[in-house]
Amino acid sequence: MSDSKNPLSPHLQIYRWQISSLLSITHRITGILNLFGLIFISAWICSAGIGENLFEYFSILLKTFFGKFILIGFTWSMSYHLLSGIRHFFWDLGYGYEIKTANFSGIIVVISSFVMTIILWLIGKGLI
Amino acid sequence: MVQFNLPKNSKILPGQYFKDKTGSSNLKIVHIYRWNPEKNENPREDTFEVDMDTCGNKVLDILNKIKNEIDSSLTYRRSCAHGVCGSCAMNVDGVNTLSCLKSHKDINGDLRIYPLPHLKVIKDLVADLNTLYKQYESIEPWLKIKKLKSQKNEINQPKESRDKLDGLYECIMCACCSTSCPSYWWSGEKYLGPAVLLQAYRWISDSRDEEKKERLKMVADKLKLYRCHTIMNCTSSCPKGLNPAKAIGSIKKMLATS
Repeated sequence: MSDSKNPLSPHLQIYRWQISSLLSITHRITGILNLFGLIFISAWICSAGIGENLFEYFSILLKTFFGKFILIGFTWSMSYHLLSGIRHFFWDLGYGYEIKTANFSGIIVVISSFVMTIILWLIGKGLI
Repeated sequence: MVQFNLPKNSKILPGQYFKDKTGSSNLKIVHIYRWNPEKNENPREDTFEVDMDTCGNKVLDILNKIKNEIDSSLTYRRSCAHGVCGSCAMNVDGVNTLSCLKSHKDINGDLRIYPLPHLKVIKDLVADLNTLYKQYESIEPWLKIKKLKSQKNEINQPKESRDKLDGLYECIMCACCSTSCPSYWWSGEKYLGPAVLLQAYRWISDSRDEEKKERLKMVADKLKLYRCHTIMNCTSSCPKGLNPAKAIGSIKKMLATS
């Protein structure tokens, strides 16, 4: 019956986003962002070994709005992926599969990821 | 490579508008996906104005009314109308459900009805579930006992063992969960999907079955099982209130600890 002339029914186009599916795709996206973030941080560290000028250039870049956006964004992305990963560990242990529990743990992860970002930056700035 | 867009022949075009002829003031606007295999055209979305004063609350009542009174060519599967047979599974208001259980009163604004997602459409709201049935067959959903022929008496099962099947045996294979799962959309040929994995777990959990190990070995596959990333669309769509995500998690846990 399924020859090629039959159309494919709509999927992503029509399916309503659920809290669980949004959090799941965010986990993936932050995973990919972390890869780029780590490459960026590694390049920064390497630049110190290559030469003073290059390191200076990086330091200026990081002090701009764009540079700060990248660093704070990377901290959040790392925090979210880490906390969401812990949520996955709980699932692997067999807990938290009820929709209510999963939505609750998901919201906790989102809030904590922002709190963790703020705390990490306060520690980094020497304010805590 | 995953294709997120619909293929060219599947793009939905605007369709006909069926205006209300009863003069009722209690109207529901219903948008329905249509595709006719006899015409060489793209699918379209028809709009119906339905008089709710003379119509039941369930989405299936609305579909029946449209078929009986407005457009008899509207095609959809239905049978029991009581959430037992699983025929009338479709995408209502963006979430898969049984149209016979879903009340239109739970939905604000216009009603949108599509076939189950990411399947080949046979006609209108009827989609092709052959792949899913083949996958169901592949997990061998029957009791496996070596000495079945010499077994004269019934096989007794203690109450505690029987309790383990609660939340699993109620599944009616309506395919709402499997077709709500993005992992199943992208690799439905290889990934078994929540419905079939819940069934697999139902037989793994049966105390009378003697091939638990073989069953576990059969599903322990990168694609068959581990394509589940706990997106949980399955559990939130199940019209019977079951938890396929938990069943899949239990299989993973069994494999990790055995």
